[in-house]
Amino acid sequence: MAKHLRVVVVLALALAAATPILAQTAVASGTRPHVELLASDRLEGRQAGSQGERLAADYVAAQLARVGARPVPGRPDMFAPFEFTAGSRDGGSQIVVTRGPAAKTFSARDQVQALSFSDDAEVSGPAVFAGYGLVVPGSQNFAYDSYAGLDVKDKIVIVLRYFPEDADQQTRAILARYSDLRYKAMAARQRGARAMLVVTGPRSPNAGETIPMTFDTALAGSGIPAASIGREVLDNLLFPGGQALEEVQKALDTGNPHVTFPALEELNILLKTVVVRERQTSRNIIAYLPATTPIGGVDKPWVALGAHYDHLGRGSGGSSLASAQDRSAVHYGADDNASGTSAVLALAEALAGQPRRRSIVFTLWAAEEIGLVGSAAFVAAPPIPLDQIAAYINFDMVGRMQDNRLIVQATGTSPVWTRLLERVNVAAGFDLTVQADPYLPTDSASFNQAGVVTLNFTTGSHADYHKPSDTADKINYEDLDRLVDMAEALVRLVSDADEAPPFTKVDQPASRGSIAGVRVTTGTIPDYATEVKGLLLGGVTGGGPAERAGLMKGDVIVEIAGQTIANIYDYTYALELLKADQPVKVVYVRNGERRETTLTPVVRR
Amino acid sequence: MTWQLRRALAAMVLGAAVAGSLQAQVAGGLQASGQERDFLSRVRRLTVEGRRAGEGYWSPDGRRLVFQSEREPGNPFYQIYALDLTTGETTRLSPGYGKTTCAFFRPGSDQILFASTHHDPRSKALQQEELDFRASGQERRYAWDYDPEFEIYVAAEKTGALTRLTHARGYDAEASYSPDGQWIVFSSMRDAYSRPLTAAEQKQLEIDPSYFGEIYIMRADGSGQTRLTHAAGYDGGPFFSPDGTRIVWRRFDEQGLIANVWTMKPDGTDARQVTDFESMSWAPYIHPSGQYILFASNKLGFENFEVFMVDVEGRKEPVRVTYSDGFDGLPVPSPDGARLAWTSSRGGGREGQIFLAEWNHRAAVDALRRSPDRQN
Repeated sequence: MAKHLRVVVVLALALAAATPILAQTAVASGTRPHVELLASDRLEGRQAGSQGERLAADYVAAQLARVGARPVPGRPDMFAPFEFTAGSRDGGSQIVVTRGPAAKTFSARDQVQALSFSDDAEVSGPAVFAGYGLVVPGSQNFAYDSYAGLDVKDKIVIVLRYFPEDADQQTRAILARYSDLRYKAMAARQRGARAMLVVTGPRSPNAGETIPMTFDTALAGSGIPAASIGREVLDNLLFPGGQALEEVQKALDTGNPHVTFPALEELNILLKTVVVRERQTSRNIIAYLPATTPIGGVDKPWVALGAHYDHLGRGSGGSSLASAQDRSAVHYGADDNASGTSAVLALAEALAGQPRRRSIVFTLWAAEEIGLVGSAAFVAAPPIPLDQIAAYINFDMVGRMQDNRLIVQATGTSPVWTRLLERVNVAAGFDLTVQADPYLPTDSASFNQAGVVTLNFTTGSHADYHKPSDTADKINYEDLDRLVDMAEALVRLVSDADEAPPFTKVDQPASRGSIAGVRVTTGTIPDYATEVKGLLLGGVTGGGPAERAGLMKGDVIVEIAGQTIANIYDYTYALELLKADQPVKVVYVRNGERRETTLTPVVRR
Repeated sequence: MTWQLRRALAAMVLGAAVAGSLQAQVAGGLQASGQERDFLSRVRRLTVEGRRAGEGYWSPDGRRLVFQSEREPGNPFYQIYALDLTTGETTRLSPGYGKTTCAFFRPGSDQILFASTHHDPRSKALQQEELDFRASGQERRYAWDYDPEFEIYVAAEKTGALTRLTHARGYDAEASYSPDGQWIVFSSMRDAYSRPLTAAEQKQLEIDPSYFGEIYIMRADGSGQTRLTHAAGYDGGPFFSPDGTRIVWRRFDEQGLIANVWTMKPDGTDARQVTDFESMSWAPYIHPSGQYILFASNKLGFENFEVFMVDVEGRKEPVRVTYSDGFDGLPVPSPDGARLAWTSSRGGGREGQIFLAEWNHRAAVDALRRSPDRQN
């Protein structure tokens, strides 16, 4: 005890001596109060359409008003409301299977459930089985067409979920890309089918189960009624004479599309699909600081700065990465994206007192987490002509800087970016990584699609990403404030230049895996900040397959299941080919040493 | 200096499988990274624009850095730029066409020297040729040709005047000034063009002209060009010590596979070998304290260059400074000795860029003191 006491006394003296100096030099953080408020319990994680999101919007608008920003010309206030689909549920779908005089009706959700993109309709017709329902476009130099020689016009097509289980890896890799259910539905519709029914085959994961209605923000349906069906319906539907679906699937699973299977029994199907889409309203916040010099003389008189302010609420939207017992806790989203919102507010405050040749518009987006809905609404009905915006600069997850590392993305959208970043970073002194790719999972992508020059600041992903543990106390405010200073210098260069940055269209990388094809999870959290040859792990999910395999933060995966991994896309692509519960060899590098382990993926639900 | 080496090797480094070089690191007995922080803090990337940049050398007042970078459309070769570390502004100092390399500030003046080929009437055609070659999607394994057109020029910033200092046929480059600004040391391959070659030498010239690289000295106005080294194999990358009494450079063996750091007096006498790694140890630069030499070596794996330091006499075992995959080299401390600029591929991509960090001189001196004496 005495020893500890002495330490305390010494510390207290040291602090007392230091205090006057600190008081003189310490500058209050321009971002911390905003983060702490936005990521507080009261705002309950700011889920799109929630009361928490409304409170956040009010706060953001009040802060912008405080520094002198105003509604953009032609608008009465800073709020730009838009409607969106907050979720969907099955509103009473039904299937009636008629065999001769006998009819059997199923309406339980574990037997029939509309797919989230289904049209609402009531259709009937004869059933036809179309294998995996896969069609690979001719341009791929790879022939696979489940519909070859099959007439499905005015019929109800039954297809298997996923893609052939036992085909060689290359075949699976190609087919996986076309196995998304929306894509299968489109293929069926284009061939004149009246409806598509999906069964999860006995040889696939989640066998015999209906497919949970996933969140799908796309407004319209797919132009065809589509539903998944359960085991009991199946038993009444497919192949007479005891021919088990398992046998048929086994033949298809070799990768051969031309398996002949017995015709279905003469039966008629009546399908009624009802999807209830819940519409809600959120609000973007849009305000601006007018140019201080007369308009004219500059090309494209606006610069836009933005961040999304919404988050996941209590994790009900499906994109929470929390463990089951934590999922309903408040997801504070301090880094994602109270940090970016705070950066924009701090920028507004800093820029308010400066002369500027272009007007600066601040755009704080709602409903980003459910699919960039807020920024898409802005782009669809822009209150400022998009061709008058010199650049849109986005801030998403900027509060977790480590080792001075800053990532600036979408630099390929204009040739000026690297020069300007080099210039402002000389003073800022970040260990800067620039990435050209503008196809990002954040709001800048909405602008890039619309031909606007974009840039995105981020400090990268981390183990608390999309979990309740993304809290305000973990934010690195000192470096967040430095980031704001650098962004301010950059914005001033853009806003004061005669010429607007020219737009460069970046081609979308073709070899990307699609998340739709990924059926398993490995519990890895990629580190997007550092470009290494391989996949650098920023962390692993607690209790997940990667952790069980002994992988940890800092490891670099260079090979999985025989596929070499050079980057995140290779990894996503390789994931498509993994099967749940089937162990695969993982080669990784730790502290310069090449090691091997065995990882067993689990089903992604 | 010797960026041509960097170029050739970096392509291999970055193109090769990660595993090989990493395994080699383990063989070298390395610990986990993080020790870099013993000497370097606030590591940051200084150059961002363009495909590649390197060879950053400080102005005597430490406020600017002159470097070579490929960053303008239409020219796939390096040009010379000066970066103002106060404003962040960058200005091109070289003509904009042709190839350039290895710039250096002249102390006490507004002059900056560099090597350039822009007088070559084929310059623009060669640029187009290289661009076409790249567009064809082919990869060059060995990129640098030691263009015999390289000559040393000095640019006066105030007037923009460009003065040519060397005229001998053969690569003249890798030049730097003495601390008083009155002398220039450089590397030249003129020997290969100034006398009749034997058949074996002629063949050597076709395969790799760098074999003929030797160190020369001249006055700042280009007069009195004198050869200092006479050993077969590439001698290059010379710099004066901070007190001007010695020259540090790197010497390759005849096969061009092993290089070591050497020092000598400015008259070419008293040459002493400082390193003995039996690997490529090159790009030496003496810290302003005069106590130690920073250099790059691939001791830990053929494809993995790291920055090391060693006492100027070479009595101690060199101490490793950087810990990152790929290329780290061309270390240049700031005039006050408190910062380090170097070229690294750690930012991703295939090519190097210039990085900057705070340099912990005290820790460096301590580490060298603790380092065991060199065996042999």
